[in-house]
Amino acid sequence: MSDEEKLSSYITKSKLIHNSNSEKKIRIAILGGFTLNGLEETMRVKCDEKKIQCTTYVSAYNQYNQEILDEKSQLYKFSPDITFLIIDSRNALGKFFLNPYSISSEERKQFVEDKSNEIINLAKELVKKSKSKLVISNFNIPSYSPIGIGEVQEEFGLHDMIRSLNENIKIGLRSEPEIIIYDLNSFVTAFGEQKVFSYKQFFYGDIRISLDCIPYLAEELIGYVTAVLGLSKKCIVLDLDNTLWGGIIGEDGFEGIKLGDDPVGKSYVEFQHNLLALNQRGILLAINSKNNFDDAIQVIKDHPNMVLKEDNFSCIRINWNDKVVNMKEISDELNIGLDSMVFVDDDPANIEYVSSNLPEISSIHMPTEQCHNNSKSIRAISSFFNVLKITNEDKTRNKMYLEQRKRSELKTQVGNLEEFLKQMNISVHIKNADNFTIPRISQLTLKTNQFNLTTRRYQEQDIRKFSQNSEKIVGCAQIQDKFGDNGITGAYIVNKDNEQQWTIDTFLLSCRVIGRGIEDGILCHIIEKARKDGISQVRGEYIKTQKNQPAENFFKNFGFKKEGDFWVFDTKNQFKKPEHLVIS
Amino acid sequence: MSKTLFQIVSEVMNIPIEKISDSSGPESIPEWDSFNMFVLLAEIEKEFNVNFSLEETLQIKTVGDFRKKSGVV
Repeated sequence: MSDEEKLSSYITKSKLIHNSNSEKKIRIAILGGFTLNGLEETMRVKCDEKKIQCTTYVSAYNQYNQEILDEKSQLYKFSPDITFLIIDSRNALGKFFLNPYSISSEERKQFVEDKSNEIINLAKELVKKSKSKLVISNFNIPSYSPIGIGEVQEEFGLHDMIRSLNENIKIGLRSEPEIIIYDLNSFVTAFGEQKVFSYKQFFYGDIRISLDCIPYLAEELIGYVTAVLGLSKKCIVLDLDNTLWGGIIGEDGFEGIKLGDDPVGKSYVEFQHNLLALNQRGILLAINSKNNFDDAIQVIKDHPNMVLKEDNFSCIRINWNDKVVNMKEISDELNIGLDSMVFVDDDPANIEYVSSNLPEISSIHMPTEQCHNNSKSIRAISSFFNVLKITNEDKTRNKMYLEQRKRSELKTQVGNLEEFLKQMNISVHIKNADNFTIPRISQLTLKTNQFNLTTRRYQEQDIRKFSQNSEKIVGCAQIQDKFGDNGITGAYIVNKDNEQQWTIDTFLLSCRVIGRGIEDGILCHIIEKARKDGISQVRGEYIKTQKNQPAENFFKNFGFKKEGDFWVFDTKNQFKKPEHLVIS
Repeated sequence: MSKTLFQIVSEVMNIPIEKISDSSGPESIPEWDSFNMFVLLAEIEKEFNVNFSLEETLQIKTVGDFRKKSGVV
């Protein structure tokens, strides 16, 4: 969370957006229970900065009920990909916000229950009537109470009413895959009620989130947009001296660096704890540091207050090489794009050098003058890794990358690729789309760039719809080998065009399992299935992007023939099944 | 360092500074709607460290009114 520009500068910039270099598109609707002018302009500017072309719709002032309930409304005509419904405690409680004690506690309970159900139903209606994801705000608990310090003594008082509303909508909407709750209450807490809510602005124009705070709110909401588009980053690349610990190992020595025990050292320990939490939910960590390897690795291995251990890092570059060169090597070794990496360093010169040479990399400057582990830097880092739902693959990703490190070691030992693959004992387990695999299949279509033949992006609801369609086959592959479980790392969607022909709509493989013949194995499985169903030809497309070069010759090498835009395979033809795989 | 009143009006309303005078207001600046007026107010308050009451806010109709109420030159 860096300091924001003024709202007026966003409004001015919003008039200059050309969308000339946008790579992604999204349609955003904003429904507000109060004046949210400026939010839309700011979000468009922020999207443009991320090369997202964004089309917006803002509902008329306080018309959210009608917009959602009327299926012919402008909202549904606009057909958003994502809708933000921002309402506050005044909207929810109406006159009881100011006079909650004009009714009994029983009546208050009843009121909250009815109101919760109303909001839950409204949210469910919206996703039922559209193909939009819905981000709905929860309610901020004001410090205000009409009875002052008596508030806490009251049975089911004003604050309890709002707490209960929040709890009810959380529980009521938790199992809705297309609905996400935005924690507006935390937003108000983080910035302070007095800064967020200005009575003057409120009375003047029903502005309930002050103009100063609108850019910060926009920044938070953009996190959902990038998550929906699958633009979240994958890896944090860290400097060591004055980033993971205080001081310089080469000068201060093992005992001299600050890590734990003293006030400065404590902030680094806490920072490492925050990184560990990110690592445990699937964000990769890597090191890019100019140091003597032996000095620095000794700290990582042996320092009693190191929270992060050697195994938490998927890739380590501690040397005197150029940081840009190291960065490229990390990207190659982990098989992730530079645009999936976030570089964290305390030295502004390093940040400047890396980002001017590798503009795709996002970077964060750790402030040395301020407290190291402050909420600002933590928010800034975690905002790069927003995902709507954390899948099991996310939680175990770190382990899988470790196994990957061991695989490459074996590969270097064995030398011969065929022999290496045989020794790997790879098994490919084909699964149908179901409630467990649908979120992951969607995530793969959103995130896979390299081995992806068509790069069609599908949200969870799309995959769910496809899987219920008897004209389509939606499948995925779980890959295991002797080093461990790679999880679901391949997916495909096949359209049954007619009795003779199937078309492969989507075929992708996560980058960490490329180059092991697995893609051929999955394709064999599809063709055998087609044969069994009496289909005479299977065809597919390769849609070229900037990144999917690894998949370019896939159909050709397998034996498909080019016909117009499609690659076609006659199922009567023979094909070679990879022998080193077990497909089940 | 600090900006002039006209500079702020020019930035908020997104119009050239030459077109602004003390008599500028909603009639001469089409962008001057009630919301932009409030954005302007918030930025003037911040830049010149002044605070307008709600009543004063409602009386402001032109750039010159801002000058009078805030006492900025």
